[in-house]
Amino acid sequence: MKQILMGNDAIALALTHAGVDMVSGYPGTPSSEILGNFQKHSQKLNLNTYAQWATNEKVGFEVAYAGAISGKRTCATMKQVGLNVASDALMSASYIGLKGAMLLISCDDPGFYSSQTEQDSRSFAKFARIPVLDPATPQEAYDMVKLGIEISEKFESIIMLRPVMRVCHAREICQVDDTLHVEPLAGNFERNIPRWAAVPPAGRFRQGLEQLERLEVIKEWNWNNLIEPKAKALKGSKVLCLTSGTGDGYVREALEERGIEADVLKLDMPYPLPKEKIERLFETYEKVIIFEESYPCIEEQLSSPKLYGKLTKHVHQIDEFSKDKVLSTFANVGLIEKNNSYKSEKYNQPLPVRPPNMCPGCPHRDVFYSVMKVFKKKKSIYTSDIGCYTLGLNQGAIDTVLCMGASVSMASGFAISDPDKTVVATIGDSTFAHSGVAPLINAVYQKHKFILLILDNSVTAMTGRQTTPERANPTDIDLKKIVEGCGVTCYEYVYKPDLNQTVDFMKSLKNAYENADGPVVAVIREFCVLDKDRADEWLPKVYVEVDSEKCVSCDSCITAYKCPPMHYNDEGKMEIDPFLCAGCSACLDVICPTDAFIRKNKEGK
Amino acid sequence: MKYQIVIAGIGGQGAVFLVKVLSIASAIKGQKCLGTENHGMSQRGGSVSCYVKVGNFYAPAIDEGQADLLIALEGNEGLRNIQYLKKGHGTIVVNADAKFPKVDFETVKIDAFTKAKNKEFSIEALNVYMLGITLAKDKNFPFSQSEIEQAITQMNAKAAPKNISVLHLAIADAKEI
Ligand SMILES: Cc1ncc(C[n+]2csc(CCOP(=O)(O)OP(=O)(O)O)c2C)c(N)n1
Ligand code: SF4
Ligand code: SF4
Repeated sequence: MKQILMGNDAIALALTHAGVDMVSGYPGTPSSEILGNFQKHSQKLNLNTYAQWATNEKVGFEVAYAGAISGKRTCATMKQVGLNVASDALMSASYIGLKGAMLLISCDDPGFYSSQTEQDSRSFAKFARIPVLDPATPQEAYDMVKLGIEISEKFESIIMLRPVMRVCHAREICQVDDTLHVEPLAGNFERNIPRWAAVPPAGRFRQGLEQLERLEVIKEWNWNNLIEPKAKALKGSKVLCLTSGTGDGYVREALEERGIEADVLKLDMPYPLPKEKIERLFETYEKVIIFEESYPCIEEQLSSPKLYGKLTKHVHQIDEFSKDKVLSTFANVGLIEKNNSYKSEKYNQPLPVRPPNMCPGCPHRDVFYSVMKVFKKKKSIYTSDIGCYTLGLNQGAIDTVLCMGASVSMASGFAISDPDKTVVATIGDSTFAHSGVAPLINAVYQKHKFILLILDNSVTAMTGRQTTPERANPTDIDLKKIVEGCGVTCYEYVYKPDLNQTVDFMKSLKNAYENADGPVVAVIREFCVLDKDRADEWLPKVYVEVDSEKCVSCDSCITAYKCPPMHYNDEGKMEIDPFLCAGCSACLDVICPTDAFIRKNKEGK
Repeated sequence: MKYQIVIAGIGGQGAVFLVKVLSIASAIKGQKCLGTENHGMSQRGGSVSCYVKVGNFYAPAIDEGQADLLIALEGNEGLRNIQYLKKGHGTIVVNADAKFPKVDFETVKIDAFTKAKNKEFSIEALNVYMLGITLAKDKNFPFSQSEIEQAITQMNAKAAPKNISVLHLAIADAKEI
């Protein structure tokens, strides 16, 4: 049957079709829609499956891995930097192997669209010594999920699927199975202490040897099943393009459009590669060009003087593919002349930039405004974390962003290294549960003095509002109790769209800080404007306009507060865009020195 | 047939909705289609651009100088993406007022924000409105009105009557451009 599917939806559907009945992961663009869509497909097909957000990627991986050890077909989903968090578990699990099947889906983001690194999960698979499949389109992603589960069972190895953003968020008409024909496997953990609890050195040494043997068998399988059939169909030009993932599409389009003669061989499983057999293919070619994203994973496994790629600097080394980059490579290796004739010019006048900003009405904005008002810049260091609140950068309220959880541990570090300044750390509720608790315990027992604000909007907002532990189970999980359990008082403020109150709360924390000898921690109960279940009760729907007589165009509001509806009109006076205003009323007081912000007469837009 | 469309706008304006409608329309037409959506960050307000490639393509993204059509849900976002249009052949359909500068491409301009402010249609339907203008004005647009209406219905049957009435309004308004 044919269906129009987004890549992540194709992956989710394939998981159900492959008989996977345990999925565990942590959200992160571009991977986030997989787990939710799997839940949706399971419901529709009336399947009794487990699919839940874990508190972080390591937890998610380990839950799915235990499922696979007990004989089930399982899956863990995450974004590429999430794999860093799960890597400790992965490195060992790769030695041990499994009984059922496990697909590790790690989604990459060439071009840094919404990630802090451009790391290549294929290279991570190589480092961990597990096979990796690299789809180019949603259709291939669908097919490779099924293939991955099949060979995971066959080789008793975790298999990685590495879709990039342009696969996860691509939409294509896909050919998919009509019905389910794979039954999930029952879990039945069979005790095998030498295997599941192998200890170094002897136990792990033996598993290391087994791992190497397994890889040799998989290389052979890769050749026989995925490479040789395609190699036989090669026409025999002078140039061979080896491709992986989306690079394949760009190369084929460029060749077709320019009428360039070259053979293309796509490597569906870029690791592990049967090196000698592939190199033997090179004999009849003059040049072999490798197109892969984003690290030279294939290139590092092969050697030949005919090879051109990232290591030889003939292919771009950073940023995502484009046809233009493929054509530049063809020019670099002397296949075509350099030529930009088809390009259109960019608009040559300056355009107002539209940097990402928090939504109109977002409570995070008020918190940062108040932090800046109470803890002056010269005497403070603002550490922050990863989430919507990272956009506090726009308000000058963030000095450091590293990785999830680092706001807390770096606050400790600054409290030690620069004790004259007040460190104010900001972290979201999902990020706190992910990796903020361990550094808080560290700070409490070592008495590091700083302020920690936990911005609890009850969702993982940045990645599409997935549920947080407290939202899913409010009776048992309470951030305040978690903080208290770490050994420190937890202040609490329920957000009001009234800046006077938020500033006052911040002042009370400053007082507490002055008398403290360890961290001062507060949970701020907020909401997310896009959270349909809660926003209505939190937003007062009081809309605002600017009295142009009073506005002196001082920039205060758009510097320190920066709500998107605020802009200067043609007369140079501040104006509120009625289409964008969320009606939160927070800007009515405090932010304007001349009190030009006033209530709009009629309600509504 | 090959037709490449860039949809540019601001987060929250519903560019992704248009990608979905156009890919369903391609399926109805029996054409291959590759689209890419922009699901970066949740927040409203940032620049967004999405691609739809109808016909025999293999790569998801559109290169600069390659698009046949640019649907711009906001004027500056149109200008920001203008280099995606094919030199000499491309068409831009843009929501902008009289201040929109002259560009080197066939330009269809309508001030949809003012119409929404005058409550002629709801701002949430801006995307469908601009699709209607495109349908009426882009001579090479690969889809018929009935294919688009079918696609809108397949996408969300409940919201379809409202969306289709906005589509009709836009087609009528386009006569005055
Ligand atoms: C290790 C890792 N996993 C996942 C992500 C993707 N990610 C970015 S922000 C975020 C969570 C944001 O949630 P929260 O802390 O509650 O802040 P909010 O966006 O709700 O303000 C996630 C999961 C990441 N950047 N790094
Ligand atoms: S998505 Fe929610 S948390 Fe994120 S900026 Fe918008 S309102 Fe704030
Ligand atoms: S009331 Fe003010 S702060 Fe709230 S959304 Fe509107 S402009 Fe922004």
